[in-house]
Formats: sequence, C-alpha cells, structure tokens
Amino acid sequence: MNFLDWPLTTMIFLPAAAGLLLLLVPGRAVALHRWVGLAASLATFAGSLVVLSRFDPQQAAFQLTETAPWLPSLGIAYRVEVDGLSILLVLLTALLQPVVFLSSWGSIHEKVKGYIVAMLFLETGVLGAFLATDMFLFYVFWELMLVPMYFIIGVWGGERRIYAAVKFVLFTLAGSLLMLVAILYMAFAYKTQFGTLSFAYADWLKLHLPMGASFWHSPQMLAFAAFALAYAIKVPVWPLHTWLPDAHTEAPTGGSIILAGVLLKLGTYGLLRFNRTLFPEAWEASRGFFITLAVIAIVYGALVSWAQKDMKRLVAFSSVSHMGFIVLGMFAGGLTATQGALLQMINHGLSTGALFLLVGVVYDRRHTRLIEDYGGLAAVMPVYTGAFLLATLASIGVPLLNGFVGEFLILLGSYQSQPVAAALGATGVILGAVYMLSLVERVFWNALVHEENRSLEDMSLRELASFAPLAVCMVWIGVHPVTFLRLTEATLQKIVGG
Amino acid sequence: MISLWLTSVFPELVLVVAGGVLVLLDAFAPRLRPAMAWLAMATVLAALGLRWALPTPGAVWEGMLLVDGLGRFVDSYILLAAALALLVADPYLARTQSRYGEFFGLLLWAAVGAMTMAKANHLLVVFVGLELLSIALYVLNAFHRESALSLEAGWKYLVVGAFSSAVFVFGAALLYGATGTFALGELASGLSRGWLAVLGVGLLTSALAFKLALFPFHAWAPDVYQGSPTPVTAFLSVVPKGAALVVLARVVAGANPESLTPRWTSTLTALAVGSMVLGNLAAIAQRDLKRMLAYSGIAHMGYALVGLVAFGRDGVAAVLVYLAAYTFMNIAAFAAVAAFSENEEEPHLVTDLAGQGWERPTVSFALSIAMFALAGIPPTVGFVGKFLAFRAAVNANMVPLAVVGVLASLVSVFYYVRVVYYLYMKPLPKRKPAFSEPWAIRLLAVLCLAGMLVLGVFPRKLLELAEGAAAMLAR
Repeated sequence: MNFLDWPLTTMIFLPAAAGLLLLLVPGRAVALHRWVGLAASLATFAGSLVVLSRFDPQQAAFQLTETAPWLPSLGIAYRVEVDGLSILLVLLTALLQPVVFLSSWGSIHEKVKGYIVAMLFLETGVLGAFLATDMFLFYVFWELMLVPMYFIIGVWGGERRIYAAVKFVLFTLAGSLLMLVAILYMAFAYKTQFGTLSFAYADWLKLHLPMGASFWHSPQMLAFAAFALAYAIKVPVWPLHTWLPDAHTEAPTGGSIILAGVLLKLGTYGLLRFNRTLFPEAWEASRGFFITLAVIAIVYGALVSWAQKDMKRLVAFSSVSHMGFIVLGMFAGGLTATQGALLQMINHGLSTGALFLLVGVVYDRRHTRLIEDYGGLAAVMPVYTGAFLLATLASIGVPLLNGFVGEFLILLGSYQSQPVAAALGATGVILGAVYMLSLVERVFWNALVHEENRSLEDMSLRELASFAPLAVCMVWIGVHPVTFLRLTEATLQKIVGG
Repeated sequence: MISLWLTSVFPELVLVVAGGVLVLLDAFAPRLRPAMAWLAMATVLAALGLRWALPTPGAVWEGMLLVDGLGRFVDSYILLAAALALLVADPYLARTQSRYGEFFGLLLWAAVGAMTMAKANHLLVVFVGLELLSIALYVLNAFHRESALSLEAGWKYLVVGAFSSAVFVFGAALLYGATGTFALGELASGLSRGWLAVLGVGLLTSALAFKLALFPFHAWAPDVYQGSPTPVTAFLSVVPKGAALVVLARVVAGANPESLTPRWTSTLTALAVGSMVLGNLAAIAQRDLKRMLAYSGIAHMGYALVGLVAFGRDGVAAVLVYLAAYTFMNIAAFAAVAAFSENEEEPHLVTDLAGQGWERPTVSFALSIAMFALAGIPPTVGFVGKFLAFRAAVNANMVPLAVVGVLASLVSVFYYVRVVYYLYMKPLPKRKPAFSEPWAIRLLAVLCLAGMLVLGVFPRKLLELAEGAAAMLAR
C-alpha cells in the first residue's frame, strides 16, 4: 500500500500506530516517549497539509474517498472522505495535537508513557470520527475517543478526577448508545425502502423517514432526537452541560485543550453533518427549541463564568457560552450564519485551547488555579501577559482577531431570520468581555500581593513554541478569514441549500 | 456406516479417552502431574483440529446427533474456552497445590458433555450431555475440599442442577406426550396441541434458563461463581451457557418460529429484559469481583437472548458471535481474578485492585480491555456482539427491546469502569503484597487481548462463520 495514495487513512492511523509502537517501549524512556509522540503528531499535521493540498474547494461533494470492504454482508464498509465541513476541523485537530504534546513537558511528569499513548489513540479517534462516512465506522471512532479520554482525565487529572472521568463517560455514553439504536433503525429503514443493507452516509441521504403526527409517532423526529441527544451532550447544549466544567477543570492541560478544542466540536459537527442533512423536516421543526436552548446557554454560561474563582472553571463555562453561539448559528439557518458557526468552531478551538494552555503554564509553576492566588503578574511575566491578552481578545471577539469574524457572521446571519435570538445572543458578547477582562484584571493588573509570585519565570521557549501556532492562526483568521471560508463555502452551500 | 458414526464423534472420543488416561496417570504416575495441564491442552487442541478436519455429515446416529455447521461452531467455542480455562488452571492449581489428574479429566468430560448438548437433535441426548456436563462440574466446583465456600458452591450447584435436570426431564416427558417424539426437528408438528405441549416447552425452557442463569432462575449464580475455584468459574461462566443457548435455539427453531405464539416470544422477551435489568443493577452493588462477574454474566445472557428473541438468521448469528465474544471477555476477566487473588479464602474485592495497573501491566491491561469489551465499547468484540444482537432486534421490529438493551448496558458501564479506575487511578496500598505474574497467565492475557481486539476490528470471518452456522437453523 502506498501511503501517499491513502492520505486520509495514513493520517488517521499514524498516531495509533505510533501509540502501539510506544506500548512496547518500556516506560522508563520518558524522553523517547515524549519525542516520538511529538514527532507522530507533527507527521500527522504534515499529513493534514497533504490532504489540504489535494483538496478542491470548488467541489461541494466528498472527495479523496478511500474505501475498503469491511463487513459486506451487513452493508458496512471502511469509508473515509473529506469535504468542506470536515477539512478545517481535521486541520484544527492535527494542529492542536503537537501543542498538547509540547505542553506535556511541563504538566505531565508521572506515567508519561501512558499519557502519550492515550493521546495518540485519542487523535486517531477524533480524526476518524471527522472523516468517516460509514455510520458504523463513525460510531466506532466516536466511541474510540471515550476510553483514552477517560484515562487522561482519570489518571492525570486534578483532585476530583475520578468523579469527573466517570461522569464524562456516563454522560457521553448515555447519548451515544441511543444514537446506536437510531443508526440501527436507519439501516433497517434503508433496507425496507431500498431492499439492500447499507450503513453508508451517502446512501442514507436518499432515505426519507416519515414525519408522523406527533413526536412519539414520528420515526424521523425520534431518530433525529436520538442523534441530537448524543451530539447535544457532546457540545454541550444547556442543560446537558454539567459534565463539562468537571471534566475540563479536572483534566490535565493537554486533556482540556483537546476536550475544548476538538471533542466539543464533534457535537456541533455531528448536528450539522447528520441531523441537518438526514432529517431535514425534523431539523426545521426543532429549530425554535434549539435556538432557545442556545440563547440560554450563551447567557447562562457567561453569567456563571463571571462568578468563577477557578481560572480553568471560568474558561470551561465560557465554552458553554461560546458553543451556544455555534448552535445558534447552525440552527438560525442561512449560509452566512452556518459559515460563521463552522468558523467559530475553529476559533473556539484555537482561543479556548490557547487559554487552557496558558492557564496550564502558571499552574505548572504555582500548582493553583485560583484567581485570588495571582495578581500583578504583568510585571513579573510580561511575555506571558501578552500571550494571555492576545488569547483573551481573540476569545471575546475583538476585531482583527478570529473570534470577531465568527461571532459577526453568526449574529449577522441569525439576525435576518431570528432577530430576537440574535439580540439576546449579542449580550453574550458583552458579557464575554466582562468576565474575561475581569479575569485579566485580577490575574495580571492588580497589585502583586503574593510574594511567591514575584519569582515566577516567564514563558520558556518551549511554551512559546506551543503557543505560537495558535497565535498565528488567531491573527490569520482575524485578518484574512477568506482563506478559510473559501474552503468551506461550496459544501456548506449544498448543506444549507437542501 | 460404523466408520461414519465413529468419525462424526471422533473428537469427543479423543477427549473422553484422554480424560480417563489423565485420571489413571494421576494414580500410577503422580510425577507427571506438572505436565498434565499440557497433556489436556494438547488433547483439546487436537480435538479442535479434528473437528475442523473431519467432515460435518449432518444427522448421524439415527438422527440423534446433528454434526452440522452450527454444532461445529459451538464445539469450537467450547474447546477454545476449555483451552483458555486450562491456561488459567495450571498456575492456579500449582499455587494451591491441587494439581490432580481428576481436575483435568473432569474438565475434558465436562467439555464433552457440552459438545454433546450442542449437537443433540433428541431431547434424551440433550439430557445425557447435560448430565455429563453438570456432574463433572459439581465435582469441579467443590474441588477445594478444605474451603467452605467451594463446598457451598458445589453443593448449591448440585441441588439447583439436579432440580433443573428433573424439570428438564419432566418437560421432555410432557412434550413426548403431546407430540409423540423426542426429536427436536419434529416437535413443531405437535406443538399446537394445547396446554400439554405449552407446559412441556415451558418446563424445558425453565431448565435451560437455570443453566443460563437467566432471571428469575439466576439465584444460584453469585454464590457458585464466588465459591468455585477461579479456573472452574471461568469455564462454568461460558461453556454451559453456550451449550444451553444452542439447545434453546434448536428448540425454538424446531418449534417452528413462524408458528411461535406471541405469548412464547413475550416470555423469552421477559427473560431477556429481566436478566439485563436485574443483572446490571445487582452487579453495581457487588464488592467481590467474582460476584460482580456473576451478575454481569446474567445480564450478558440477557443480551444474547435478545438475538434469540429476534430469531431469524440475523438473530442466531448474533447469538453465536456473542458467545465467541463472551468467551474471550469473560475468561480474560477471570484469568485476571485468578492472577490477582493471593488466597482463595479471601474475597476477591474490587478494592484489592487499587494501583495494580501500573505494577502488573499485561494482566491489568487485558482486564481493562475485557471490562470495556463487556461494556460493549468499540473496537472490541464485545461491541460487535452487542451491535449484532441489537441489530437483530431492530430488524425484527423490536426497537423498544433494543432500547432497553442499550440502557442496560449504559448502567453496566458504571461497574465495569469502576474496575478500571481501581486498577489505574487509585494509589497502591501501603502494604504491597508480593505478586507474581506466571507466564501462562500472561500468555492467556495476550491471547484474550488479541481475541477481543482483532475480532473487534476484523469481525468479518467470525461473522461469516456464524452466519453460515445460523443458516442451519433459520433463514
């Protein structure tokens, strides 16, 4: 097999292969594990660039298809392909992974081997879930992410890590198991309508489930709900968000970055990819419901963030608010809002990933995340302050940085159809500035009251190197978003247009 | 004709003779005891090879036995389970100083009993197989003669087993009265004849449900699992269940599924739902690993029964794949229990696993993957089994049954995952016991890992075999 002929497959399984290899290496060789992990993730990133170079943005349909028979008697095949909806998310995943490995030098000192291996398997799961277009394969990748993440939170996490890890697993599984039944039902419905078995997403697009009179008698609504529940838990949509603050806060820095950066995006990706296209009528029917939940999430997440004393918890709740924006944009409809939502997925991954990374930097030095333990850091750590400020401004949507573009497109697009929701959502932008700037004030500007903070070292070269790619992308998207929007336009046009 | 008869049961003959030889060797050449497990293993592997090398002629012995694809599939599963159990047994028996030939002889005979059940086409042959299997197991359960728990297990299994045998025979007698035949394939003709046949099938099903430890016939399982020597528990938890499920499948098929009354389907559904719900809920409360696995086994037979309720080729294939999956998962789990327990007298507490994951990586890794597989998380074979079982239910228009199944497995995740967090996320206790990781256990862990993961990622061959075997019963 020529790897260059199968770029997607190579990219998906390269991390897992490296992980398997590392399993055989004794855990004593800590440095080796770290470097191999980093190298594998960089190679995967290079693979994603190869995919990008072969990607044709004019084409709305799936491209670079790689397929092989798997369980032919059940209509199940191995099938991965990429389109405008997944390309950016794949790039984001591949970009964040090396950042995670770089951060592990500072934050992970025990059982390094296990951490690196878990992270590598996690990357395979995430990339596979974004690229799989056979629903069985998608489900396998979707669940494959669960086990490494469980270990990452549970072994290398903070004090309440076991509680957080078990909660994460149970919440996620609760949704995905019902999705499994819905997947089985769809395959069955396909067989009844077309006579053959198929789990291929492309085939299911031809399927039309009846709408029925009421919710419980409507196959389409029930299947939609089963899919949506799985994704809504992952996003998370209010009021299913309660696992998120625990998991984000307790996870080690790298775990939080991946969790906030890409795992949450799988929820919004799933809603847009599957719920929107497979169940169009149910999508229309539940629009108001989801927009309401999204607006609540925006405002609620922002208000709760404001009240947090723990930096990581604050960023975690801000995710609830930001993800609310994305859900609002997706359900408000229109190409503009949907494009904004997709771009905002990337933006949130970058800026929240950066914030978790930066909180990790001071946590590695002081082993506390409480805001009150800091103050006046601007004088001691000028470079760090600059970096944090950049990430904050990106997160609250200051023009010329990435967050602005996404929020602007979402609000612009939703205002046309949902003016009230857009207006309420816009308050979230203001509240976002309030809680983030108050965080910056309390950590960086106020008087330096804790003596131990006086001797804090500024960011090291390694830490800067892990932050730099995120900073570049944040500015790039902010200044010239067309580079990225161009990649997604054709596909989103097709999805939104019907 | 004679030669056909003999070759059709040649693997069984080899096992029976080898069992006798092992018992005699123990008496006359006790020096050979350390080699006995490997002799038994070689016989089991030889029987497995013979089963695949010899043809499957279908009905033989005047139609008493059905040596067909289905029988071959289940035989392979039984022999594989026996081989894996032998790998658990050897280091365990060496440690407890009870490496006696009887153990291996009884294990082989029990396997023959199960194989007879799997291929029986006649209720009395089923009974003979059932008794051979059960009687050998009664002794094996109580193999630790000094341990009260082990004796209790043997005694309990004996009483319940004898009772269920009686119920089985009574059911068979009533069926004979109603239909005039003992042949499974001909039961259908007389089944419509009123309450006598209904009662007979009901009793027969109850007796098999005892063996399968299905709710509400499960009460013996936790005590027997806990008290029996761990290798025996490993064997007991998979082999009789496979045999009993196949008999049940043959009865269902013989009774002609199209003519099955809704009442009969709903009875099986009730057994499945009850087992899934009760097994999983009760397992949460268990502190002892073996008891937890007993309740989880109850739940798993519930999942497998879902495939049988759905029936059809999909359903039976799902049951067969489930059995293969269950073998690897469960034996991996019991192998770890055997490796982690220092003393048979002590309970096998989940809390004793604290921190072991980093101390004994191979066995712990196999145990964790077994837990994830039992929970049905891909890419393990446990997921494939559940996927097929629930798929069969959905295809048979039983979506609610599949929903109950997935919700029950959600509950189960809680206690399976608990094992994993004790292994990896709890610190080692201060007083660290001296552990050994015998190579046989490590080999077993690797084999089970390979079985769970390779069959989980590439289930095609297994599925095709199961579909071929299922085609014998249903289309």
